[in-house]
Amino acid sequence: MKIVTAGTGMAAAEFVEQLRLEGFEGEIVMVGDEDCPPYSPCVIPFYLAGEPLDTVYWKGKDFYQKYRVTARLGKPVVQVDQKRRLIHTADGAREDYDRLFFATGSQSWYPRPEWLGINGVFGFKTLSDMMAIDRYLREEQITEAVVFGGGFIGVDAALALRTRGLKVSLVHRNTRLLSQMTDEEGGQFATLRLAEKTALDISLRTTVEAISQSNGQLTGVRLSDGREIATKLLILAVGVIPNSDPLQGDDQGVCSNEQMLADPCIYTAGDVALTRHAVNGKRGVYANYPNAMRQARVAARHLLHGDGSFEGSLNTTVLRKHIDFPVISAGDFSGEAITWQQGDIWRRVYLVDGMINGYIIIGDTRLSGYLYQHYKDRTRVEGTIRKIISAPRHDGQYREMLGFAAA
Amino acid sequence: MRHGDTCMKRIFVDYKKCLACKACETACAVRHHPSGTLIGALGDRQTEIDVRVLAIEHEAFPLACRHCDPADCLNACPSGALGRDAETGAVLIDPTRCKACAMCAMVCTFDAISFKATHRSPYDREVAHKCDLCLVRTKDGGRPACVEACHSGALVYAEYDATRSKRATKSLRTYLLGEEGVPPLVELYRELRRKEFARRRGSAE
Repeated sequence: MKIVTAGTGMAAAEFVEQLRLEGFEGEIVMVGDEDCPPYSPCVIPFYLAGEPLDTVYWKGKDFYQKYRVTARLGKPVVQVDQKRRLIHTADGAREDYDRLFFATGSQSWYPRPEWLGINGVFGFKTLSDMMAIDRYLREEQITEAVVFGGGFIGVDAALALRTRGLKVSLVHRNTRLLSQMTDEEGGQFATLRLAEKTALDISLRTTVEAISQSNGQLTGVRLSDGREIATKLLILAVGVIPNSDPLQGDDQGVCSNEQMLADPCIYTAGDVALTRHAVNGKRGVYANYPNAMRQARVAARHLLHGDGSFEGSLNTTVLRKHIDFPVISAGDFSGEAITWQQGDIWRRVYLVDGMINGYIIIGDTRLSGYLYQHYKDRTRVEGTIRKIISAPRHDGQYREMLGFAAA
Repeated sequence: MRHGDTCMKRIFVDYKKCLACKACETACAVRHHPSGTLIGALGDRQTEIDVRVLAIEHEAFPLACRHCDPADCLNACPSGALGRDAETGAVLIDPTRCKACAMCAMVCTFDAISFKATHRSPYDREVAHKCDLCLVRTKDGGRPACVEACHSGALVYAEYDATRSKRATKSLRTYLLGEEGVPPLVELYRELRRKEFARRRGSAE
């Protein structure tokens, strides 16, 4: 049996590793648009911040050799012919498969794609993006940057560049940074504290309206509030879209069943896959590493053994990059809100039917694992949770366990 | 819990014997300090302590990584920094790969993973750190530094399957807290502590 992966990202690498560890001896071909070993998107901003490139290859630089993979790199998959079991790449080449693992991930969405043609404008999603930015920073001796987009990737970008020593302006459309992973109040708290701790110049309810250039070189941006900032570096991080077009003809993500099958011969996983949420049951793209890893393992197991099913994704997220100020969240931010704050630490749990419906923890990681387990396991916590998150020494779960009320 | 034919040992806690003396914390700090001495570890900002004594009212117990299997942290790490030692089954962090992204800490029920710029951090920033089961010592037949230092018998280094089968495994409480059988002197000490805390709370006791 010949197995082909469309994509060489984390899901595809996990899938291939599992196949080999489980003793699969057949041919494996991995097809990807970037000419490099599988890398961790979580790690690549650290390369930009000045850490060694080798650490981005989280399963080793020798991945393809180690797992006896034929790697066809540098050409994206543009079309999947499900009938004839063929994939077509951008250079016109084809690759036939018995089973396809479709894990093409997602790509940056650009409000004005033509801006990318200007020297000094970059996306912030791929290792190629990081290497291009790194080269540009060195060659042009850049000291200031504008990052457009204050979601997870935008904040990650701003903090990585700040760590590199740049003065960074962060422009965000919403009322708060990290708007997808926080509620209004939590997001405001996180934004305020991040601004204090990092000296990022943050503009909220603002967009980059236009850019100015001279001979194809970026010279500045104009914001929606009329302000102009002179800069030679603009990072665009306003959104991502699933790379589902080659399989589906649209960018809405790939539907899969509980065996991660999109059709009888195609598995899917990772940031391109539409899956069911383990707690609220809603279908969606839940782009995080633990989901991708578990989905890939389900697919590998099903391919080899014909059993197993995916228990559903979780939308757990943590942003803790380059500075000691974590923002953690999961679930839906609706229900009865129980909130606690002490200094730089802010916690909120949303309860529905006595169970955790969602939670946000800012400024600290303690209790996050406790909330995660009880959220996932659907435990009734209404009688204890207020005391647990309110323990001033962050030992609420242990106080509860030992039978003490929170002090 | 077995890997191959090797029976695995783990650190167990009998919390009722814990006197909150923090000898375990001190021993852990010394063992993980490049100088290997107390004088070196003291006052050093990079000193790494992978066990922490929780004192809650009159109770206390040492808390560290349980080296779970399966381990949520291991499955959450997107940088290849967390791995399981094949021989002992210990969950280990490679500080050269760790980006301190907190994906592991976010799912650890025990809050056993902390962040600090330790002496093992190669990039002059924080890394995740936690108990490594003192593999350097234990692979040579020794005991973890914290267990060695514990004079009240609250920390026990014992074969996992045999010890665990003696304990109920239904809840976090029993998983962490373990066997009864407190020596008379420790019992007396506990009684005194209990009274002292009751007095501080202004109780009539």
